Amino acid sequence: MLNAIRRFFGEKPSSQVAKRRMQVVLMHDRMDIEPDLMESLKNDILAVLSRYMEIDQKSIRVDLEQGKDYTALVSNVQVKRVYRHAHSN
Amino acid sequence: MAGKTIVVTSGKGGVGKTTTVANIGTMLAKKKYNVCMIDADIGLRNLDVVMGLENRIVYNLIDVIEGNCRKAQAMIRDRKLTNLCMIPAAQTREKNAINPEQMKNLCQELAEEFDFVFIDCPAGIEQGFKNAVAGAQTAIVVTTPEVSAIRDADRVIGLLEAGLLRDIHLIINRLNQRMVKKGDMMSTADILSLLAVPLLGVVPESEEVVISTNRGVPLVHQKGSKAGRAFSNIASRLNGEDVPIEEDKSDGFFAKVKRFMQS
Repeated sequence: MLNAIRRFFGEKPSSQVAKRRMQVVLMHDRMDIEPDLMESLKNDILAVLSRYMEIDQKSIRVDLEQGKDYTALVSNVQVKRVYRHAHSN
Repeated sequence: MAGKTIVVTSGKGGVGKTTTVANIGTMLAKKKYNVCMIDADIGLRNLDVVMGLENRIVYNLIDVIEGNCRKAQAMIRDRKLTNLCMIPAAQTREKNAINPEQMKNLCQELAEEFDFVFIDCPAGIEQGFKNAVAGAQTAIVVTTPEVSAIRDADRVIGLLEAGLLRDIHLIINRLNQRMVKKGDMMSTADILSLLAVPLLGVVPESEEVVISTNRGVPLVHQKGSKAGRAFSNIASRLNGEDVPIEEDKSDGFFAKVKRFMQS
């Protein structure tokens, strides 16, 4: 009954609060990615992009950006030319 | 053919590692397999009391590793099942009295003799953890539906994977269905979405567990116990039998869980 009243006033069930908090916490914990893993991620992104466009290999940057309640993968790549068809390699 | 070596671990203490080892080990022995359980929690041994074998200890794990006794001398036979035994931890020594290489060798030797070798891992992620996981091919991570246990389980899963132990299974212990229904406890589906390892079983919260440890008789010996049945189903799944996860009638997430397991 108490729960029903609480929910009526817009309070989320505690289990969903817990889940949401854990999603963020675990993301933070897992962020301690080793540099070589980051490097191979970068190379993989590069390889995929290269099939569709010519890119400046030296310009690529891959970072994990931490917001208050999210983590974003931010990548900056300079595109030189876009191919008309995908190159398979 | 060599037997399976399985470490039961959790990161956080008090989530039910020892209870899990005692019950799954006993159940597999009831299925006529030869089972050996190693208590790797040096300095804080407990598997002996949970199994009701505390009065029979003469030698321990470190005695075996240091060669003070033969392996067979440290193995304590179960009171009911002759094909079940345990090697107790040393109570008065420290975790760095042994190293991962020695544990690995011991587990390999035991796997020649037994169908299943269980290693009861200490809490934490230091030397004791490293020793306990060194000789295992499979890991069972035990968690409860609480934030602290889940976070630690996630850490442990990360460490296991980094140590190239990739055969990891999850047990959710002490799930309170009534609280899940009320929205006050994370459900099986919630936990699986966070941890993303295959589910081996869900054990309901139960007073019977306390009573059985009081008596030193594993729950799986007791008929009609819900938690006991959950443990025996887990043992069956470990043995490759196709036993569906007990249905959560309340939250209808069962289909989701099942899909997750099959993916």
